[in-house]
Amino acid sequence: MGVLTRLTVLVAAVVLLASSVCAAPSEYQVKAVFLFNFSRFVEWPDSAFVSPEAPFVIGVFGYDPFGDQLEEATRGETVNGRPFVIRRVRNARDAADCQILFMHRTEEPRMNAVLAALDHRSTLTVSDLDVAGQRGVMIALATQDNRIRLRVNVNSARAAHLTISSKLLRSAEIVDAPAAQGGDGA
Amino acid sequence: MTLAAAPIRGKLMKMLLTTSGIVLLFTCSALFAYEYLTFRQAVVRQVDTLGAAIASNSTAALAFDNPDDARSVLAAFKADPHIVAAALYDRAGDLFAAYPEGLPASSVPSAPGATGHRFEQSHVIAFEPVMEGGKQLGTLFVKSDLTEMQQRFELYLLVTGIVVALSAIIAYFLSHQQQGQISRPILELAETARAVSDRQDYSVRARPADTLELAVLTDAFNHMLMQIQQSEERLHGQMGRLSLLQQITRAIGERQDLPSIFQVVLRSVEDNLPIDFGCICLYNTSTQTLSVSTVGAVSQGLSSVLGLAENSVVPVDQNGMARCMQGYLVYEPDVRQIPYPFPQQLASGGLRSLVIAPLIVENNVFGAFIAARRREHAFTSGDCEFLQQLSQHVALASHQAQLHNALQTAYDDLRQSQQTVMQQERLRALGQMASGIAHDINNAISPIALYTESLLEREPDLSPRTRSSLTTIQRAIDDVAGTVARMREFYRHREPQLTLALVDINRIVEQVLELTHAKWYDLAQQQGIAIELRTEFAADLPRIMGAEGEIRDALTNLIFNAVDAMPGGGTLTLRTRVVRGNSEEQSVHIEVTDTGVGMDEETRRRCLEPFFTTKGERGTGLGLAMVYGMIQRHSAEFEIESAVGQGTTMHLIFPAYTQAFLATMRLPATQIAPRRLRMLLIDDDPLIIKALEDALSVDGHLITSASGGQAGIDTFTAAHGTGDAFAVVFTDLGMPRVDGRKVADSVKRLSPETKVILLTGWGQRMLAEDDIPPHVDRVLSKPPRLQEIRVALRELTS
Repeated sequence: MGVLTRLTVLVAAVVLLASSVCAAPSEYQVKAVFLFNFSRFVEWPDSAFVSPEAPFVIGVFGYDPFGDQLEEATRGETVNGRPFVIRRVRNARDAADCQILFMHRTEEPRMNAVLAALDHRSTLTVSDLDVAGQRGVMIALATQDNRIRLRVNVNSARAAHLTISSKLLRSAEIVDAPAAQGGDGA
Repeated sequence: MTLAAAPIRGKLMKMLLTTSGIVLLFTCSALFAYEYLTFRQAVVRQVDTLGAAIASNSTAALAFDNPDDARSVLAAFKADPHIVAAALYDRAGDLFAAYPEGLPASSVPSAPGATGHRFEQSHVIAFEPVMEGGKQLGTLFVKSDLTEMQQRFELYLLVTGIVVALSAIIAYFLSHQQQGQISRPILELAETARAVSDRQDYSVRARPADTLELAVLTDAFNHMLMQIQQSEERLHGQMGRLSLLQQITRAIGERQDLPSIFQVVLRSVEDNLPIDFGCICLYNTSTQTLSVSTVGAVSQGLSSVLGLAENSVVPVDQNGMARCMQGYLVYEPDVRQIPYPFPQQLASGGLRSLVIAPLIVENNVFGAFIAARRREHAFTSGDCEFLQQLSQHVALASHQAQLHNALQTAYDDLRQSQQTVMQQERLRALGQMASGIAHDINNAISPIALYTESLLEREPDLSPRTRSSLTTIQRAIDDVAGTVARMREFYRHREPQLTLALVDINRIVEQVLELTHAKWYDLAQQQGIAIELRTEFAADLPRIMGAEGEIRDALTNLIFNAVDAMPGGGTLTLRTRVVRGNSEEQSVHIEVTDTGVGMDEETRRRCLEPFFTTKGERGTGLGLAMVYGMIQRHSAEFEIESAVGQGTTMHLIFPAYTQAFLATMRLPATQIAPRRLRMLLIDDDPLIIKALEDALSVDGHLITSASGGQAGIDTFTAAHGTGDAFAVVFTDLGMPRVDGRKVADSVKRLSPETKVILLTGWGQRMLAEDDIPPHVDRVLSKPPRLQEIRVALRELTS
């Protein structure tokens, strides 16, 4: 066996190892799947949609950490026959058209305004700010022990007429905080 | 039953136990199978249900990557201790969470398998997709062990074992109890069969069983026994009758006379068949009736009541008897129903059933065997057959007896004839000899007779004593002549010509006693025995017509016999008496009685046979035969009364002659004066010539004599030539050279008118044999009596 051949095998092994490391999902890859999964564990009232044929809209407010990973996670999927639509939301007004609205932790300053603008509309608000729940965000994606943990403000969800599956609640942490005050932020 | 064969009890029990065991086994197996299947389904369902619930609960944990939550969800499996392992795999197939806590990762599959459940050795494993909103979030793995099932099965096995054991025990007891219902009657049946075969007792019956099939079997068995019993009884009866038949056949085979055969047959049948009445009748073809020949000994009493004693006549009526006479066996089960005289006669004696069997020989019914019993329908077909066969044997035996008797008679006759012929031959020889002697005696006594008669006639001056002597001489000569004449009876059958005269029996008896004095008195005294003589003479005894000499001889014989019969002495009685019968008929009895040894039956029967004697060498066996001959010639009767040790009485019974009859019987007149005739006497005996010459000269005849035949012929020829012929020629028959026949021939040739009188000592014999020579006008016996000569001369010349 020649030196060249040995080298080739070594390189191949390194490449394989690197690719497997790269295969481990990134934080926002996981969070994108989480957002998609919320559509399964939460029930929206019909009033949440403009029309019966209206798509299921996942909105990302302000800073978008996902890239195209949300599109990846929802490609080809439907919820009750509705196709997914990923929308970048710039202002609070537009947020009302989304069924799920993600707010990056960096958007904390605008969080209150968005929540107020939504004004108990049936939009599931999600943020990866650990204390978002206390701020009135319905589901906070907190990072704990190197894992993403859900913290659910049940009051906010109830106020928005959203029904969160007990299964979801099982694996989540309940945040006992009042719902966000609508209207004052706008 | 062989020893190797198992008892039906065991077989039945085995059968029952096997059946119940198999039923139980099948039931339990089915139960097991059912339990197994349902349990498996239950386990699967449980696993599925549980898995589904857990899977449903674990969706969020998977969806939101919360292994802690997943573990807590899996912890719900604690509720089922049989779930030994469980695991959740994420969407990518990586192990997400495992149950129970701390389970090494190697205990669960590293990757999920195909959805669904499958059984492994002692476990069942299932893979369940974890779905949420139509999307698979992961896979649940559940592993449940089957120890519960094994435990349940062990419990089942235990319970089944107990149930089977209990069932077996119960089945055993039940079968033990119930097999008896089947085996007991069978064993009883077998016991009965053994009892029957051991004891040969076919009257035993099996107890009826209460089960239908066994009852049928028992009935069939009993029926078979009954049939065997009946056939055995029949066989027994048949054997008995056969041996009886054989016994009777043997018994009658030893007998030759019919009454004895019949008696034996009836006796045997009465005793052994048995019957109440039995008789044998013989058929009389001329009168067409049956006469009772023999009645059985037992039936004697009844037969006299029925009027069926021996020799009584039984009519052949229309019904039974007639059929029997046609050769059929007749059986009347109840004679009261038969309206004919004979059955009614039997019915009157209390008899009810009747069998009449014909006795047949050579297709002829010659008699009938009648058997009757007091009961109705008392004769079985076997009895009838027996009686038929018996009657055939009896008929054959009777026939043989008849043949035997006929043969015996023929044989006896033949022997008798042979003896008679032999005796005749002997007598003939004796007679020829006697006749020679007689001739000489007759010749010798002729002068004595002639002179004595002549003297008594012509000499009136004779002294009474001389006259008495001459009379005695004359009587003695008559007796001698008579004796000589009777000698021919030894060889002749023909009745001798009797010269009957009136006879005074008393006088003859006295004469005989006188003549035999030497025998019964002198000789007896010499032998030292005493014989007492008694005489009883009837005073007015009529005279009889008879030959004095013969009667005298007969009496002499009887007296001699009587004396010989009393070797130790005794009493000799002579009795005469007259017995008067009807209408003046009288008979004179002479009885000679002795007190001697007497005669037995055989002797009495044969004593009259010629040459039969009880005196051995001393006797001739002719005495009584001669007496009997005399009796027959006198038309008299002879009776013998005798018993052994009681003595013997001989009765001679002569018919007596009445005065009227006697009046008609006159002897020819003797005193007629004869014509003077010229006669020629030819004889070779000068004494006879002299005596005749003297006697006839006294009657006035002219007598010329010639000595010998030739001289006689010469004299006659010479006289004829001179014309002075003789009117009568007396010639002796037997003379040397020229005998009386030649003389007569010559005389008649010369002068047919001349009468020729032949004098002969054989005279009676010639008369008897019709041997009178031609040319002889009269034959006179020697010794000639003047009376006879005178009668002949008068008859020839008148």
